[in-house]
Amino acid sequence: MSVHIIVCIKSVAKSAPRGVARRTPENSELNPFDRPALEAALQIKAQLGGSVTVLTMGPPVSMEVLAEAQAMGADKAVLVSDRALAESDTLVTSKVLVAAIKKIGRFDLLLFGTRTADSDTGQVGPQTAALLDIGFVSRIKEIDTKEGGWEIKRTIDAWEERWHIDAPAAATVDARAFHPRPVGLVGISQFYVQPDVAQWSLTDLQLMPQEVGLSGSPTRVAALEKIKRNRKCEMLAGEPQAQVENLIARLTARGALE
Amino acid sequence: MAEPFLNEKHRVLRRSVRAFCEQELAPIAAQIDQEARFPWEVMERMGPLGYFGIQAPLEFGGAGLDSLSYAITIEEVSRVSGAIGLCLSVHNSVALYPILAFGSPEQHQRWVPALAKGQKIGAFCLTEPNAGSDAAGITATALDQGEHWLVNANKVFVTNGGVADTCLIFVRTDPDAGPRGISVVVAERGTPGFVVGDLEDLCGMRANPVASIRLYDCRIPKDNLLGKTGMGLKIGLAALDTGRVGIAAQALGIAQAALDASVSYANQRRQFGVPLGRHQAIQMMIADMATQVDAARMMVYRAAWLKDQKQPVTLAAAQAKLFAAEAAGQVTDLAVQIHGGYGYSKAYAVERYFRDARVTRIYEGTSEVHRMVVARETLQGK
Repeated sequence: MSVHIIVCIKSVAKSAPRGVARRTPENSELNPFDRPALEAALQIKAQLGGSVTVLTMGPPVSMEVLAEAQAMGADKAVLVSDRALAESDTLVTSKVLVAAIKKIGRFDLLLFGTRTADSDTGQVGPQTAALLDIGFVSRIKEIDTKEGGWEIKRTIDAWEERWHIDAPAAATVDARAFHPRPVGLVGISQFYVQPDVAQWSLTDLQLMPQEVGLSGSPTRVAALEKIKRNRKCEMLAGEPQAQVENLIARLTARGALE
Repeated sequence: MAEPFLNEKHRVLRRSVRAFCEQELAPIAAQIDQEARFPWEVMERMGPLGYFGIQAPLEFGGAGLDSLSYAITIEEVSRVSGAIGLCLSVHNSVALYPILAFGSPEQHQRWVPALAKGQKIGAFCLTEPNAGSDAAGITATALDQGEHWLVNANKVFVTNGGVADTCLIFVRTDPDAGPRGISVVVAERGTPGFVVGDLEDLCGMRANPVASIRLYDCRIPKDNLLGKTGMGLKIGLAALDTGRVGIAAQALGIAQAALDASVSYANQRRQFGVPLGRHQAIQMMIADMATQVDAARMMVYRAAWLKDQKQPVTLAAAQAKLFAAEAAGQVTDLAVQIHGGYGYSKAYAVERYFRDARVTRIYEGTSEVHRMVVARETLQGK
């Protein structure tokens, strides 16, 4: 048995001092939630044989996250990058990823992280699956092959669910279920000896500028306002014993303690 | 700030090394220092990732990276643990590098793969009780007995000594030829007569197993000679030129850690109603520290860059090591001062940075020796 897994990853901004995330070489990193997805893919490949393709849509700096993914063990990398893609919302992103996935070809499993550290919507995974018209399960914890499909475990509260899903399938990977392997020096070096990344623009995907970017996006962020928190500081008086009793009473009254 | 010498590969590398060190080393850095314990459990994970063969060719299991990558790796490891940065720097630049540069293809096959993959650890054995800066004053001997060398040596302060398998030993193969009578033989732990002495109890770099290595009538195979007889000085100087970049990067990493800790503390700690960072006295200290660290960084990267350009690097490496080590001393001293009483307590990391920084002015050439090198290079032919 041999499987082809596609993992969609994203270069995210590390900090956004004014609320707007700007990805630059000094302010970007591989989305931490994508690493467990990559790890899951690599483990499945090790178990079943096959290959892992990583796909990302983003500005040129996204090449760096593809380098890390290949250093971890991904076989092929695809970068979809075009100026016209700037300010695309999650639906447009999903449409673009779908076009790229169709160009990549046949796959058995499509994995995503649960969300991104900079946008935090969690929407691209399920939207992409829906546009591809394939089955989707969120927050998978375990995955195994099973007669023409996948057997998946996920947990809700105190329950463990076992799902069967036909291949090809899509899923987001629970961030705590797979401990991502470190990116090694050998892998990074091998990548940069001969970077082998397919780079596709809108024309390669047969998409028009008006379908993407701000003009193609049904949703857009209208405004950003920093939340001001008014913190009150109260100093408790009396001997430590009395202060502790006072504190416990107050925390209990607020429901923080039972 | 954007860096002039670094490219995308270096950025990716720095992020990956930092992430690994913060995950695996940072949680135990203080403890391994306190216990003077070499953390095998982490070192074993570093081997397959390429940390022990940063510049060794890919076909030997190394990472085949350039000198800038090497400097960045040592800097980032040292930022978390100076002692482990030291282990990797010495292993890579003064043990593995000389074997690659001066060894025969057969010697490469014999020693490089295990060293590059971190399956074995290397060490550099030059210093003796009566020969430190005066390296030519070593008295270790290697007598030519046909099939083997009979080696007698008492080497002290060997970094990695307590765990090293493959040791470059500087010996006199010709006692009458002065400095030109010095050669390098590679001795392996386990050889009869190869004795590892007690671990040194040091002020800093305590997680590094520094020990003496003594060879008593040790029979070392003839073909363990590195290069030719009489090449010892040349090998030593070439090794130290490379080692200087690594140690400079190590000092830089320690200084950066001290600066980061001080900035964080100065923004949080309040005295006289405001964060420390609002007091001019503290601001002046932070300004000096930040400028020193930045200058040290430029010098370290420039020296590494020159190496990558295959240009002469003796002057730049000496200056980088001299400056970075002195800067580390000043920066860590100010870091303790900024932390006040807490800076003197093991509950905070700065006292470890302070202790670790102190030796960077001493080993791989004291600051005084480097000043001699810089003076000589600057004054000659003018």
